[in-house]
Amino acid sequence: MVESVCMDCHRLVAGQECPVCGTTNLSNDWSGLLVIVDPEKSEIAKKIGVTIPDKYALKVR
Amino acid sequence: MSEDSAIFVIKTTANQERSVAGMLAKVAKKDNLDIRALLAPDELKGYVLAESSNSGEVEQAIQTVPHARAVVKGQSSMEEIMHFLTPKPTVTGITEGAIIEVTSGPFKGEKARVKRVDEGHEEITVELFDAVVPIPITIRGDTVRILRKEEE
Ligand SMILES: [Zn+2]
Repeated sequence: MVESVCMDCHRLVAGQECPVCGTTNLSNDWSGLLVIVDPEKSEIAKKIGVTIPDKYALKVR
Repeated sequence: MSEDSAIFVIKTTANQERSVAGMLAKVAKKDNLDIRALLAPDELKGYVLAESSNSGEVEQAIQTVPHARAVVKGQSSMEEIMHFLTPKPTVTGITEGAIIEVTSGPFKGEKARVKRVDEGHEEITVELFDAVVPIPITIRGDTVRILRKEEE
């Protein structure tokens, strides 16, 4: 299944626009998956400034 | 027990890294396990990284997840995985006239001067120093290392 990624927040998006940013600026060319489960405790989430649990791409082109 | 984050490595079936990461997140949420984040970088074939306070939580989480085979003994630190979070920058910071070294591909190790930067395509056009005739080549911005900013 091909999933798109929001170019702004790197979130994996199922539809045509990012539900958080509201942008339709999506890309299919991404790599590396990051799943944030617990942004309160996650050091990774803190490092990259993510506050919402979700799936993110490490890199979007 | 420490509440600090550590990184645990999970061995997975090849090409199932992303699905394992996704399913582990679901299991962690459902069973209220202390797994804070999961990481499946493309460079790591057959492995998923889990951020957790201890390996027991990770061990428990993988039990019901297909293709999650084992938790590798030992743990890594945040520092060791930081480079996955900040993938090599694209062309940002590369300017015309800069001296770069190519870090991968057929021209690996070659030094070159940047002629043109294409931010939209994340490509740069460079001229190799050692070429007999300086032919411009176009390469991806993430396959170079800046040695010197533009010459004055
Ligand atoms: Zn977004």
